[in-house]
Parts: sequence; C-alpha cells; structure tokens
Amino acid sequence: MTCTRCGSPLSAGDLRCAVCALPCPPPPEGESPYRSVARVLRCEGCGAALTYDVHAQAPRCAFCGSVAHLEESEDPIEEAEGYLPFTVAPDAARDALRAWLGSLGWFRPDDLASDANVDTLTPLWWVGWTFDVEALVSWTADSDFGSRRSDWAPHSGQTPMSLRASLVSASRGLSETETRRLAPGYALESATERPHAMEGAQIERFDVQRSAARLIVQRALEAQAASRAREAVPGHRVRNVHSVVLPKRLTTRRWAFPCYVLAYRYRDRLYRAVVHGQNPRLVFGDAPYSLAKILSVVVPIALAIAALVAYVLLRR
Amino acid sequence: MASFECQACGARVEIEDDRRTGKCLYCGSPQVIDRPPSADRPSPTFGLAFVVTPERALETARAFVRRPFFAPTSFRKAKVDDVRGIYLPAYLYTAVAHTAYEAQIGENYTVTETYTTTENGKTVTRTRTRTETEWRSLSGRCSSFVGDHVVSASRGLPNVELESIEPFDWRAIKRYAPRLISGWATEEPTLAPAEVAQEARTEASNAVGKRLARFMPGDSHRSLRWQTTFEHEDLELVLVPLWILPVRYREDKPPVRLLVNGQTGRVHANTPTSWIKVMTAIVLSCALVVLAIWLLTERR
Repeated sequence: MTCTRCGSPLSAGDLRCAVCALPCPPPPEGESPYRSVARVLRCEGCGAALTYDVHAQAPRCAFCGSVAHLEESEDPIEEAEGYLPFTVAPDAARDALRAWLGSLGWFRPDDLASDANVDTLTPLWWVGWTFDVEALVSWTADSDFGSRRSDWAPHSGQTPMSLRASLVSASRGLSETETRRLAPGYALESATERPHAMEGAQIERFDVQRSAARLIVQRALEAQAASRAREAVPGHRVRNVHSVVLPKRLTTRRWAFPCYVLAYRYRDRLYRAVVHGQNPRLVFGDAPYSLAKILSVVVPIALAIAALVAYVLLRR
Repeated sequence: MASFECQACGARVEIEDDRRTGKCLYCGSPQVIDRPPSADRPSPTFGLAFVVTPERALETARAFVRRPFFAPTSFRKAKVDDVRGIYLPAYLYTAVAHTAYEAQIGENYTVTETYTTTENGKTVTRTRTRTETEWRSLSGRCSSFVGDHVVSASRGLPNVELESIEPFDWRAIKRYAPRLISGWATEEPTLAPAEVAQEARTEASNAVGKRLARFMPGDSHRSLRWQTTFEHEDLELVLVPLWILPVRYREDKPPVRLLVNGQTGRVHANTPTSWIKVMTAIVLSCALVVLAIWLLTERR
C-alpha cells in the first residue's frame, strides 16, 4: 500500500502518511452503520456503561473501575528489520574501556585505568532509521556568479535529488550526541534479519512513534538537502544556502545498532561510558578528573600572576 | 431533535441534532450517536484524547483570571468552579503547496571614498568606508508540504478563539472511535468543509509566507510577493478536547468564556478591561511626567 499523495510506502496500522501526513484509509470493519444509531459502550468486567476517563487516559467503568485500553488506535510501534552483529566481544569492550581510561591525558588520576571496576556491562541494540527518498529541493543562495557591484548575486532553483541513507536516531537510551558519535563506525552491509544470540542484550524498540518521526526525518532531509543544494548553485563561492524539501516516495529502513553501555566505579562513584559494538576504538563517556593534579598546575600559575601583579603595583 | 432508544434500559433518549453524545434521562447511560455521514457533515476521522484533568484545568483557569492587572477587580476575584469538557469538531488541513515568488534581494558592498575636512585649522584629505546595498530582483518557485492547520468546524466557537489555544500535539492522534468520546459532550460540525476550506488555505498561505521570508538569500530583502497554489488538499474532521469555564463576574454582564486546551493546558479568554483602571493609570503617569518636568525646571 502506498500513499496516494506522495507515493511513500505505508505500513499496516499507520494513521497518517509518515512523510506528508495524509490520513490513511481506515482498516475495513464488519459493516458500517448507514443509519443513525445510539451506542452504549459496555464494561467487559461488570456490564455497566463506560466513559472515557481523563485520569486513566482510557475509557473507564465508573462502577468497577476497570480500564479498557484504546490499543489499536495508536500508531504502531516498529521493530528493527536489520540487526548489525556485535563484532566486539564483551571482554574486548572491557579492555577497550580500560585503554580509553588510560588515554585520557595527564589531568586524570594516575590509577584510573587500573583501579576502575566495571560494575555493569550491557550489550544494547539501539535503533535508528536510514532513508531513501526522491525529493524536489527548492533552494536559494548567493554566489559570485552574475555579481555586479556587490560580490554576491542571488540565485534560486528547483533540483530533483535522490537523498539517501542518512542515519536518524530513534533511541531513547542514548542521547543524540552519543548516537551521532557512534554512527560512522557501523557497516550496514553486515546486517541480518534476526538478532544473533548475545547474552543479556537489550533490544530497543522504536518508541518514537512514526508520525513523530516525520518531523525528525524532515529535519534530517533538510540538513542533507542544504549541503547538496550547494552543488546546484552556479559559481565558485557560495553563501546563504536555504533549502525546502518536497519528499516523494520515501522508503525507510529500520536498523538496530550494537553498542555496550558500561557503568564503572572509581573510588565509590559511578561513571557511564559507551563502547561501539563494531569498532573498539570508538569509546566515550564520563571520567573523573584528578583535583590534586589540577591544583598542582592552577595554584603555581595563580601565585605567579599574583606575584607579578604585586610587583607591578609596588613599582609604581 | 432526534429520538433514540437507550440500549441500556430501552427508554427514549432525545438528542439535539448538533450533538454527537447524550445521556439517558432514566438510567444515566452515556450514549454516542453514529449518524450516516454527508458531504456537509462528515464523520470524524481522528480525535485527540483529554490529557489535562478537570482539577488542573480549574487551577490553570483560576491563576489566569487573577493575572490581568487592567481587568475589573470583580473579574479578578470572580469564582471559577464550573468546568465542562467538550469535544470540538475541527478540520485538519494538509496539502502540497507550490509557491511562485518574487522579491528584491539586497546584497551589501562597501565603498571607500575620500573626503576633505578641516583639522586644527588645516584642510586634510581622509578616506572612509561606507556600506551600500545593491538591489537585485529574484524570482523562483518553492514546493513543500503544508500540514496540521486546524480550523474550527463549529459556528458556536469561532476559529479565532480556537487559534488562541493552539497548537495541539498531533503526534498523539488517535483514530476516531465512539469510546474516545463516550461520556463527553461532543458537537457535530455545523460548518461544512467547503465553508472553511478558504480559511484553511489562508492559514496555510500565511505559514508559507513566513517560511518564505526565512528562505530568501542576501543580506536583506524587500517587496516579497508570492502566489501559492495548493494541490492534493485534504480536510479531515477531527475532534479536539477543550475545557470550557464560564466566568461570571457581574450580574448585568454575560459570562466570559474561558478556554483551556484539553491536551496541552494552554488557556485563553477575552479578558474584559476596566476603563477606570486604565484612565487612572494614564492620569497618574501624566501627573508623574508633569511633576518630573516641573522639578527639573525649578532646579535651574
């Protein structure tokens, strides 16, 4: 099934098109009522009439208090269709963390790498989309082409583009900055249809609903289109590129990406770090600083400045 | 007025033609009417559920009533304890917008000029730079989706009032089902889609214009003109949740209608103004200015 307005494929249960927000036809029901009928909704527990309850966010029976959930009326929650395998083993992830702790520089405690203890190590498949889209990109920009008195001349145009495969995070467990740092290290061609066995692994669901994703996808498309539109502008020097995207036939692929989320303890405090599931050199997270080392640098500098100021003042 | 048989007790239930829900007088069962749709009165496609509880709606409304300084004291001290939840019918508009635009784009450049001036009694030549703007005309086309513009489908609640408590969060949209509105007062649309289509287009066109202003290149722009044609238009009937609180502040005046967005809690009312308070403020500030001028001139 595809959207009649923009040609994007629709999934079963979609309420609106994920690209252009055109409502999807309702699923066929038994018979549709063609005369006026009054309906009473009955509680399945006690048979009394139900009313929608704002506290429960669902219809609730006023007599027995049971709640009927509006299940099918919400957007479907998606699952990933491609799982990338863990190529870094849990022990390698521990080693990667230690190596990273040892490489953070002089301002960290000397015994950080040796004394940090990994509390928990959770293999996590976080989720994200990639997309392929044919889009009509309207753009405007200034360039040196056709300029007269000023160095710049305005230009505008519409260029069809195929934009593809940018990674948009749908993760709730990892922040946007974290997913952005992880994204470049993945080999999409290694994906399999089912997740392979991984002890204790958590698989995130696409909690961000499809219609909410519409805005995220639109923003990602616009960012990509702006950089591509730069090539369409005539001239050598270009500035002020603006673009507006009209997507058509957007196909989305849903992926699950492997990473390790580690909690480690150093001197009774917990810190969090993330290790890439396919590239052990991609590690980032929180780490403590050594106060003694920082003071040992700051105090002499402060004293030196104070001495210099005192000297200058006394000479006057 | 239409008459139905209560499915719970068999009594006759009278429900007004512009209502979608009602209550049986004899057993109190909430009724939801399913009328066959027509071109002027389509069936609802989607609905948004109430999120704001009546207690929170009352609290928000009470805080709102106390706020405006220039409102009559009787309004600011009015009792707010009547709260009614209703589902308002509205049309949700989406379309593809093709816009042809033209504008004058300002591209800045600097010129260096020499001038003569007199310094310490001598005539000297100096240079200075000045920023000038070159105006170039630009025309083009811009295509995009426009979405989620809402226009009231009720004659009872005009669109300007609905706009004052927008936006709604359309990510929480639900397909219409009778159980969503069971037990809540729900109006049938009293405006046909054709009657509001132009209003929806104007709203969408204004949004296009705002976006277009950000779309222009150059250092500045002027005389931006545009013409938008809409394709693949779609108007869907949706039911949006509202809390309505009448504020009665004077016996001889009609109550003020206070609206609370049932999903986001945004509140609005056409607050009455106390002209006595405004005049007093103007007179007082004038007196202060006169006093200040008098004090300043006296000192000299």
